[in-house]
Amino acid sequence: MKLNTGELVTGALVISALSGFVLAYQYEPATPFISTVAMEATIPFGPFWRSLHFWASQLFLLLLFFHIYKTISWPLDHQRTTHKRHWTVIALTVPMAIFALFTGYVLRYDATGQDACMIAEHLLLKVPLMGHALNRFLIAASDEGINRVYAVHILLTFLLWGFGTWYHLKRVTLKWPAFMSLLIALCAFCALIEAPIDLPGQNVALIKGPWFFLGVQELLRYLPPFIAGVLYPMIPIAAITALPWLPKPRVGLWITGLWGLSYGYLTLVASLR
Amino acid sequence: MTRRQLLTKAGKWAVGLGLFFPLYSFIMKKRYRPPIQIQIKEALKPGQFLMEKEFALFQTTKGPLAVSRRCTHLGCIVNYHETGKIFLCPCHQSKFHWDGRYISGPAKKDLYRLKVRPLEGGKGFLVEIPRGKA
Ligand code: FES
Repeated sequence: MKLNTGELVTGALVISALSGFVLAYQYEPATPFISTVAMEATIPFGPFWRSLHFWASQLFLLLLFFHIYKTISWPLDHQRTTHKRHWTVIALTVPMAIFALFTGYVLRYDATGQDACMIAEHLLLKVPLMGHALNRFLIAASDEGINRVYAVHILLTFLLWGFGTWYHLKRVTLKWPAFMSLLIALCAFCALIEAPIDLPGQNVALIKGPWFFLGVQELLRYLPPFIAGVLYPMIPIAAITALPWLPKPRVGLWITGLWGLSYGYLTLVASLR
Repeated sequence: MTRRQLLTKAGKWAVGLGLFFPLYSFIMKKRYRPPIQIQIKEALKPGQFLMEKEFALFQTTKGPLAVSRRCTHLGCIVNYHETGKIFLCPCHQSKFHWDGRYISGPAKKDLYRLKVRPLEGGKGFLVEIPRGKA
């Protein structure tokens, strides 16, 4: 059996979405942290469902990165306009996926989640002209609590699903063997390993954000928020979405690769703190 | 492009924009919400302090002082370290004096002070956190 990376990405997304809807039955956006802790402590199989949602989502993002890595040269030899357009649209699901994971961290609303939420809100507000509107659309937590974060988190399921299958699936399918092996492996893993959560009232001197955010967190120490938190992370997204349209697509690959190296380095520095 | 195609295209844009405006206004509207008021039912002697989730309340000889714990860099909750009488931000390590004055790190600005007044009868305080600024 040849496992197709696209198929695995789809499988992880399905498991993540379904387990997420299970969690929503007991989740309460007015008391996010308390209801999350309740799942951990009192609700039968709470830790299992939370763990399944957490790890399936992590796996989804990692597999998505791997999938991009495997297909990154596709635009080099598909130069028809329809192909280019398809690539650009589908590349936009990457920031969506990252934001879906990010809002997930926020929703559990422990110390990491709260701080990550505030940072994201402040960073969005630094975007010239559109910052305020973007914040109203995506976060607005200081005014609205996490209602909007929750709405967007669920909305992203549909967007990722819609683009990833209905639009993109003309090429990639999800068959039973791939889905079942993924489901069984994840369930076994999550029955043993819990999803992390910070306990309240710890006076920790250093909070580390979500792993995919560590590099940005490190850079925010040194550079103004707009550069470190908005412009710098936009580089690879811009490069990948624009890839097929560039006069020399290879340049885009180089930019993305070099950016990836720099980000890996920053992440390493941050995680060693 | 034929006339028909042009009309279809224009129609699609009209529907899109026609829907965008109601969506935009719906989402951008901020409902009014009064500031959050927090009652502290504890008397503090000068030199004593109380650590709340959103702020720290210090009693001084000149009266109470409420310092917001929202870091002025990007809004993380700063932690108080009693030994050095400083606030330290766990996100990018900005430092502040106990009364909120900026010391070092990327924040560059002092911590906000919140409105605080003693409760009637002298036993306790009322602290006000403005919405959207917390
Ligand atoms: S949010 Fe406090 S130092 Fe960045």
